[in-house]
Amino acid sequence: MKRRTFIKDVTVGSLILQAGPRLWAQSVLPDLASIQGESPAQITKTAVEAIGGMGRFITKGDRVMIKPNIGWDRRPEQAACTNPEVVRALVEMCRDAGAKEVKVMDNPCNPAQRTYLRSGIAQAAKDAGAKVLYCSEHKMKKVDLNGEWLKDWEVYTDFIETDKIINVPIAKHHSLSRVTLGMKNWLGCLGGNRNQLHQNLDAAMIDLAAYFKPVLTVLDAYRVLLRNGPQGGRPSDMEVKKTVIAGTDYVAVDALGLSFFDIKPEDMPYLRMANERGFGEFNLEKLKIEKRTV
Amino acid sequence: MKKERSKKYRLIQALRILSQIFFFSLFLILLLQTRFPGEDYIKNVEGFFHWDPLIAIVTFLAARTMFTAFKFAAVTIVITLVLGRVACGWVCPMGAVQQFFSFVFKKAKLLHPRKGSHNHTTWKYYILIFLLISSLFSLNLAGILDPLSLLTRSFATGILPAVNHVLSISIGLVFSTGWTSLGDGFVQAFETLNMNAVFFQGLLISLIFFGIVFLNMHRERFWCRYLCPLGAFLGLLARWNIMKLKIDENKCINCNLCTIQCETEADPYPEAEWKSAECVYCFTCGSICPTSAIDFHFSARPESIEAIDLSRRKVLLGTFLGALAVPFFRIHPGRTRASEKLIRPPGALPEDMFLQKCVKCGECMKVCPTNALQPAKWEAGPDGLWTPILVPEIGYCEYYCSLCTQVCPTGAIEELMVEAKTQVKIGTAWINKDRCIPWIFGDPCIVCEEHCPVSPKAIKMVEVDVLQPDGSIKKPKAPVIDTQLCNGCGICENKCPVVDQPAIYVTSIGEDRSKKNQFLLDLKSTGDTATNDPYNTDPYR
Repeated sequence: MKRRTFIKDVTVGSLILQAGPRLWAQSVLPDLASIQGESPAQITKTAVEAIGGMGRFITKGDRVMIKPNIGWDRRPEQAACTNPEVVRALVEMCRDAGAKEVKVMDNPCNPAQRTYLRSGIAQAAKDAGAKVLYCSEHKMKKVDLNGEWLKDWEVYTDFIETDKIINVPIAKHHSLSRVTLGMKNWLGCLGGNRNQLHQNLDAAMIDLAAYFKPVLTVLDAYRVLLRNGPQGGRPSDMEVKKTVIAGTDYVAVDALGLSFFDIKPEDMPYLRMANERGFGEFNLEKLKIEKRTV
Repeated sequence: MKKERSKKYRLIQALRILSQIFFFSLFLILLLQTRFPGEDYIKNVEGFFHWDPLIAIVTFLAARTMFTAFKFAAVTIVITLVLGRVACGWVCPMGAVQQFFSFVFKKAKLLHPRKGSHNHTTWKYYILIFLLISSLFSLNLAGILDPLSLLTRSFATGILPAVNHVLSISIGLVFSTGWTSLGDGFVQAFETLNMNAVFFQGLLISLIFFGIVFLNMHRERFWCRYLCPLGAFLGLLARWNIMKLKIDENKCINCNLCTIQCETEADPYPEAEWKSAECVYCFTCGSICPTSAIDFHFSARPESIEAIDLSRRKVLLGTFLGALAVPFFRIHPGRTRASEKLIRPPGALPEDMFLQKCVKCGECMKVCPTNALQPAKWEAGPDGLWTPILVPEIGYCEYYCSLCTQVCPTGAIEELMVEAKTQVKIGTAWINKDRCIPWIFGDPCIVCEEHCPVSPKAIKMVEVDVLQPDGSIKKPKAPVIDTQLCNGCGICENKCPVVDQPAIYVTSIGEDRSKKNQFLLDLKSTGDTATNDPYNTDPYR
């Protein structure tokens, strides 16, 4: 064999070996997995596996932040906070993928002790081996968000000083943004007078999502709050959909999440704006979606 | 003669100090436990009050109803009848604080014990007479001076909030050293303590407490000697008790140490008559006597014990003032016309009855998870000073919480379980359209509606026309209140982004407990709101 051919072969070969599996994987994996089933934990695991498994997002030794919605002093049956079993499943998967540390946190609207407890999330996450911390004013820092509209804001540093962040919202009705899904969930990482952001909520949501860059978004639609959001209260405000949607494209996750509310993605200005800025796809026809019941 | 201090009484004195430490710690632990316990029900953290006969009797006289929890006060009465004021010397946490600071001031040479003059020990009896007589006319002022109430209030709204600030600063320092994991640990413990840190009157209440503490520089246990109405009440009962001081006159060398060091001017000295009504059985005299001449013994035999030397004129004066105070306290319109700011906690009795029962102890303010309950200034009139009011600019009434109703020691706030509490209306929210962001600028804002905890929501977002300065019209969705669904919790006012003077605010009108403080006939329609709920459909679908 000539030296030149040898070098050429090795180069080409290693390129194929390196890039090959990834090209192959990308061509096969769906953009979104929407899994339905009886067990919230099971459908969460199935959904994440369907888009490549937690190993695709978490590297051994990573510090991981899981950001559920723990906003309200409500029980899981009231569908105001993320389903605790979904959070538990994610913590377990992150730990199995070799995460060094998994934190579960939110800055709630009601007192944190009450929301962490009544939502069942603190217990579920701790049981699965996560660190569950309350947000502290001492860890709040004004940071440059470099958003198009939102230039800077107070953020709890726990959400920044982490290797990977996973967004775990719950699908809920909301009178201003009509629904609250993944991108709205980022407001829970903020301190300061965040209530003022409602004056330009769509822009804030997009800037925040772009800033936090989740490696994975898992939308809990096991119970969906259809009325009186974002808190609900009565059983009639909620419907059981027994679904979890997982994806890396947060715009796409929100777009598919709208289906529970019979809203078309193109009717939600923030999805169009996010799409125009190149953050993701909201046209469901352009997305490869794996729908399954387990 | 053998000079030796009594080992027995030095041991008893040590036991007494241990007992005081124990009961003060118990008081503090119970007060720290007066917080969200992680479930809807809180244990009997207000237990100390139910052993307090002063609160029991004054509240009974003022409200003319007995709260059964006060059955323990009878135990205190019986113990005092038999053994004298041991509760003052061995149990009372306020007494322990006074004695501790007397000790500290003595060691610091700020207090030089001297023989009492007896002119002032009767003050407390006149104070007691004043409280009892005024309570006959349904004026309950016991809470201002009752030692447990005063101590709890001072700690709940003064000392603990100050400690809270110190802890918070310390945690900040830990984080600034970069030791994040330690800081995280402190934060979690700190958050779990849930100490409310903001009280409008915290400084004033603390200053009063420190004033009482500093009076110990003048005389040991100044408060217990001269001022404490509960001590006075127990002193009256203690006259016939069987634990008596006896001095062996053969041993006594007339050194006067016992009388000089006596904590409460009870005169444990042969030349004077020992005063059983003043003695709190601290046994300082027994342990300090250089010749072990002092002994306490049990004897049912009546002895020549000096009666409390109350001047008849002053008793009459106290009675007169107690009665006279009543009409003066009624000048304020608090009971005839509701104040808009007088938002009482859920379960609070109608105002008359509430003021007759509330002893201003601050338990409810300590337990409130949002710091919303604050000691009142003049909103409820002079006798409503330091009674709890909900101040939405500080906090709000958490929807699924009824802790304040469970810790109230006198039943001024009726005990409610969470299910019943969610049905209680404590006020009504109103919108100030001149300040509301959608109503004035035509911009979106939904914060009040978003936080409204009732379902269906009491705040509806309705499309309205808003005239702009340039004459154009914007059509935002603006908040409109359904006063019938509003429970007055105040979260809307608390969270409103127009922070200085919120564009939505709660006033007391419409509160369930009042028949007069209403603005619509039949405000709460009968029937199940869920079934005839006009909003049971989603307007956005």
